[in-house]
Amino acid sequence: MRVEYINPFVEAAFSVLKEVLGTEISRGELYLKSSSQPMLGTTAIVGLTGDVEGRVLFDMSLQTALAIASTMNGEEFKSFDDLAKATISELANMITAQAVTKLHDLGFKFDLTPPALFTGENMEVLDTDVEALIVPIDMPLGKIEINVAVRERN
Amino acid sequence: MDTVAEDSIVQEEEKAARARIDYKMVTFSLRGKDFGINIMKVKEISKESKFTFVPNTPAYVRGVHNLRGEIIPIIDLRKMFYLPVSEKRDNEEQEEVIILRLANDLIIGIIVDAIDRVLGVAYETIQPPHPIFGDINIKYIEGIIESNGRLYIILDVERIFSEEYTIYQQIDTEAKAHTEPLRIPEPEKEPTFNFVIETLKTFSSFHVSDLNRIWVEERFEEWEKRCKTEGRQTQLQGTEDAEEFLKSYYSPYTGMMWGSDYQENLMKLLPENPSGSVFIWNPGCGKGFETYSLAAIAKIKYPQHRIKVWANDIDLLSVSTAPNMILAKEEIPSYLLDTGLLKEQARGFSFIDSIRDSIVFEYHDILHHNEYPEADIIVARDVLSFFEPESQQRILSDFQQKLKDDGLLIVGKNETLPEEEWYLLREGNLIAYKKEKS
Repeated sequence: MRVEYINPFVEAAFSVLKEVLGTEISRGELYLKSSSQPMLGTTAIVGLTGDVEGRVLFDMSLQTALAIASTMNGEEFKSFDDLAKATISELANMITAQAVTKLHDLGFKFDLTPPALFTGENMEVLDTDVEALIVPIDMPLGKIEINVAVRERN
Repeated sequence: MDTVAEDSIVQEEEKAARARIDYKMVTFSLRGKDFGINIMKVKEISKESKFTFVPNTPAYVRGVHNLRGEIIPIIDLRKMFYLPVSEKRDNEEQEEVIILRLANDLIIGIIVDAIDRVLGVAYETIQPPHPIFGDINIKYIEGIIESNGRLYIILDVERIFSEEYTIYQQIDTEAKAHTEPLRIPEPEKEPTFNFVIETLKTFSSFHVSDLNRIWVEERFEEWEKRCKTEGRQTQLQGTEDAEEFLKSYYSPYTGMMWGSDYQENLMKLLPENPSGSVFIWNPGCGKGFETYSLAAIAKIKYPQHRIKVWANDIDLLSVSTAPNMILAKEEIPSYLLDTGLLKEQARGFSFIDSIRDSIVFEYHDILHHNEYPEADIIVARDVLSFFEPESQQRILSDFQQKLKDDGLLIVGKNETLPEEEWYLLREGNLIAYKKEKS
């Protein structure tokens, strides 16, 4: 993963989460993963295309997703309903969009696909031939793993 | 009624205690400390004397013994663990011997001070070894257990002896592999040599293999001599020692721009390239000095070509700083002066955009999938040794696959690649290989 891409994603995740949730957040150590990875259960995906191709995953447990949706909407969610789902998708969209804006300023041209949301148990994700950068983010509401897998178009 | 209930409680507890025994161990003492060995490893115990001395063996080998027609080696565990052995003992005196049957039906007798008893052990009561039990290398200890107010150190005998066994096997095969006897370390320094190999792995994650063995052996001799004259220990005590040992391993111009001599040598080796584009792959690029040197030299050699350099490293901190590298005036080698490849900035000199744009710095693990086009040049100096031997093989075969037929692979000055697959080109202090044509 090109080093110039890393910071925009980390910074965008940080500033967006801080702004919309108003809580303390801290970033864990970044690392790389290849081969298939288990997912936490609630995952929003945003595709990237342009100078690069790939996708960004925002991965969290159902409790974390509910807690985030509750905080963002200012009401308590008991079940993961449509509004809660839309909230998580929107969060993913906001973070990715801000990262892409930062990348535009650096001269890299990216486009986004609309976010999609997956939920389920024992999910795995496999990226063929692309290694993924994992940005773990810890908050009082729970843990989000941002999983960025992009590659240059040759 | 109460007593019956109490009795049954006591019985229950006893039962539970019995049920918690996962295995039994034979306990013994060495210099007043208590030790244990899993009873499944123990064939028998006996009192023996008059062992037959075997010349030219390590000090802890007491000799061999005839056990009902079977010849077994006898190891003095106290000597092996460098515990003091009282001088009075002579070969006539009866010694307490535990005879072990290890994996592969290896039978070994060990001499201990006194065999104590058999003790039941539950896995949950075993505590991990603590570095405070310093006299015995911690990796030989399975755990510590407390029983009746005494602490027993449970030894991992498989590990103790399998390692000794494999070391000798290794030396044996090495001896067969090399016809020149000069390269085999002399017997008395084998343990230290192997220890140095182990500690290099631990402290600097430097793995000794065929790739670097020649250098390591030469360096070890030099190191041993130096330590003797300076009166210090040959064994590496920590990361500092390991780095000191490896100091002469690194290739010229590590962590700085390549000098003019290196540049000239590379210019001589670079082939004419009619294709119009040059791909360079630079794994382990670190802070990027090597990468910029390469990109600039390629630009000088092939001014009209399209140049693309893929540089990657697993060290995020180093590689993140690479794209914005700034050089002080004195850091610029002479072959780059007046080429117009550098431009002055507020804080120093940086490369012009066409050079910078030709390089892609990536945070990437080379053990993952390497999604790169076929390369004209691969530069991996002093990279491979920091991977485990199997990974070294994997990366090398990846290089073999990713390198064009007339491409160059540049490695560190102390790295040797297998002759069957790689053809050595040497130009001064620059070591390069081409693919051996099959």
